[in-house]
Amino acid sequence: MSARHGFIERTVDGLYEAMEHALHAEQSAGATGLLQKLDARVKVAGILSLIVAEVLSHRLWVIVSIFAGAVALAMLSHVSLATLASRVWIGALAFTGPIAIPAIFLTPGAAIHRVPAIGWPVTMQGLTTAALLLARVETAATLTLLLVFTTPWNHVLKALRVFRVPVVFVVILGMTCRYILLMLETAHEMFESRRSRTVGALTGPERRRMTVSTAGVLLSRTSQLSGDVYLAMQSRGFRGEVYVLDDFRMSRLDWSAVAAFVALAGWAVWAGH
Amino acid sequence: MHIPDGYLSPATCAVMYTSAAPFWYVALHRVRDALHTRLVPRLSLFAAFSFVIMMFNLPLPGGTTGHAVGIGIATVVLGPWAAMLAISVAIVIQALFFGDGGVTAIGANCFNMAIVGALVSYAVYRLLAGRSPIESPRRVMAAGLAGYAAINVSALLAAVEFGIQPALYHTASGVPLYCPYGLGVAIPAMMLGHLTVAGFAEFFVSAGVVAFLQKSDPSLLGEAGLRRVAVSQARPLWATLGVLMILTPLGILAAGSAWGEWSARDYSNPAVRQQIAASTFHQAPPAQAPAGLERLSSLWTAPFASYAPPYVRSAAFGYLLSAMFGAGLVTLASAGVSKFAR
Amino acid sequence: MLFELDRLTYQYEQLTALDNLTLSIPEGSRIALLGANGSGKSTMLRILDGLHFANSGAVRFRGDELTEDRFGDDEFAFSFRKQVGLVFQNPDIQLFNPTVFDEVAFGPLQLRWPKSEVRERVGDILDRLRIAHLRDRVPHRLSGGEKKRVALASVLVLDPAVLLLDEPTASLDPRSQSQLIDLLVEWGGGAKSVIVATHDLGDLEDIADRCYLLDRGRLVAERSPADVLRDRELLERTNLVHAHRHRHAGELHSHPHVHRD
Repeated sequence: MSARHGFIERTVDGLYEAMEHALHAEQSAGATGLLQKLDARVKVAGILSLIVAEVLSHRLWVIVSIFAGAVALAMLSHVSLATLASRVWIGALAFTGPIAIPAIFLTPGAAIHRVPAIGWPVTMQGLTTAALLLARVETAATLTLLLVFTTPWNHVLKALRVFRVPVVFVVILGMTCRYILLMLETAHEMFESRRSRTVGALTGPERRRMTVSTAGVLLSRTSQLSGDVYLAMQSRGFRGEVYVLDDFRMSRLDWSAVAAFVALAGWAVWAGH
Repeated sequence: MHIPDGYLSPATCAVMYTSAAPFWYVALHRVRDALHTRLVPRLSLFAAFSFVIMMFNLPLPGGTTGHAVGIGIATVVLGPWAAMLAISVAIVIQALFFGDGGVTAIGANCFNMAIVGALVSYAVYRLLAGRSPIESPRRVMAAGLAGYAAINVSALLAAVEFGIQPALYHTASGVPLYCPYGLGVAIPAMMLGHLTVAGFAEFFVSAGVVAFLQKSDPSLLGEAGLRRVAVSQARPLWATLGVLMILTPLGILAAGSAWGEWSARDYSNPAVRQQIAASTFHQAPPAQAPAGLERLSSLWTAPFASYAPPYVRSAAFGYLLSAMFGAGLVTLASAGVSKFAR
Repeated sequence: MLFELDRLTYQYEQLTALDNLTLSIPEGSRIALLGANGSGKSTMLRILDGLHFANSGAVRFRGDELTEDRFGDDEFAFSFRKQVGLVFQNPDIQLFNPTVFDEVAFGPLQLRWPKSEVRERVGDILDRLRIAHLRDRVPHRLSGGEKKRVALASVLVLDPAVLLLDEPTASLDPRSQSQLIDLLVEWGGGAKSVIVATHDLGDLEDIADRCYLLDRGRLVAERSPADVLRDRELLERTNLVHAHRHRHAGELHSHPHVHRD
């Protein structure tokens, strides 16, 4: 089996796991942490405002404080740090690292150090900008995943509706999540069946042809299935709007959370200016 | 080329959201009328497909990663407006569930990949595919090239958004607050990878899937009912627009200012006065700028004064940039007008 | 009359799925739609459920013609969706909510029932189908039999007058199969109608009073279950049974028989 084929399979499997986890994270037993108790609307608005606040901020220590707050929220909500690390921190580092690190040497400014042997200048400005970039990315990603991990996805959709996001968009969003899972499942099955039939390594053009035909078959099969999913929804009365069983009611905890979010975001904007 | 949070200043993010909003609005209206039809699940299907495609990150030369978007195939099947929505949905899901692409950058990412991507892809596809039959190889090539063009334009836009950050947003001591690389680095870094690896991947996915579907399930292609844009009138317009945009740097090479566009200051500049005279049948221009011109010319300082944004060092490139933004604004306006005229 | 089909023709991508069908189904019927794969049974169920609409001819439900325009009217659509329920062959396409409870509650919520009533009814039906212990589970991770029961619950919760089932026993283990049959038998009868599409001839006499045989989109016969099971030639012609040929001591002979799924 060729290495490239393995790469695609591994990515698909990884995606499937991640998507499942993201969509059903709150199913984990005993997940009655702080964030889980909050109203979905409060979480959506609150976490979003924190992300905006930290992006607005110009000072590194303010951003890091918000990050610390996010980590604290995670721990209070039984979202394991290991999960955060593997899902968010490492990924963001892998992407932002190669971009941020050269900036340390390339950003103009007074050199405070020179790398031995190569002589590249390390500037204060460079360090600061790299740190800012990294801090912002990590904080935002952490906050986003906290939202998704502690809220049932149909509540997220409902909260979006409450905030006047157009119904077509929200419906398509929900259906797309379902189809992604369907597609990944189908892809996984196809790879498994193919693996049991392929012997030996494939040439480049063969691999490409197989990838394309896999994509095509996947599309066809999922197309059929997804049409049926929509019919099944209509069969049970779906007319376009999103309904959830739980009432969105503001408890005292929710109001306190609103106050806390507003205070934290407000302080971040003011202090980071 | 998903832009994460923190790379673009809040001002840039806000501008990108505002730029994306009218297109989303039009797209949503067009799709909403078809809410009870097959368009909605098909749209979600391609959103899902695009999502899966975009998660395959390919390492690009230059240190970034890139990926195919699936914009080519989405545009062929869904038409530009539904494709715009489909890719936008995929981008939103990636931002929310995977932290791939920032939440504040959703506007920018959607504008680059979904909106402009869909329009470029559609224009190129219609231009190249013409009226050839659904099963013809010409359509395959057209789809592939459409995807390639779209992904590179998206990358260019992203590069520009990155590249203008350090000049515009930095502290007093010169620390770039957001993306630390100027246009001189951002553009080559992004374009190198996308003109090659990522562009090829997109070409390959778009062309390959279209070819496959031609044989296995042609019903997914060429469904005129799903596309409501009048094609035949639009094609020559798009072509003209594209050609004009590319030729604009030549305008700089043309000697002196364009006729009639002399500013109030030009009237006191001897070199320009000679040009004015030469282009007006050797009649001497007035000794001073007309009073009305003086007054009005100070009223509005255009953001892109003289078509050269201050942070762009190459005049030709500045010209091209302005042309692109100008074309974008024109498209926006015409979309708005067509909406109201309906 | 519950359903009336009048020269109904339905085409799908150059294929004629249903060809000039005319039949009448009275209230309180227990019907089996028999036919091999591709005979059009699934398509017919979807037409009866107002999910696809005829290209020519008409289909009427209790006197109302089912057209796309008609379903544009909210009142009619809600009323119909409550009265007619369809259980799809593949339960996975019917399971798209985060938990089993949400899944079963989906239908009532769409029909805008009051939330307290929704909660009560859902709890009820979960108990009746003995899946109450699954209420917080993720639907598409359940076993085949459990999924089928959840899918069934999500339709039965609306208490429809007509239950349409597409290959309900396909890919179920024998015990789940017989449990499902028992459920259908118990639920049907009186004012309720059941229309089952199947190519499984076992249990036919338990679940149906009347059989319609479809072959390539056409209605080829209308019989009682006993008559159908007796008519070997008809069954072979419509590909519901087949004959194996083999040799015994030099002589060639064949047995017609049925494969269970």
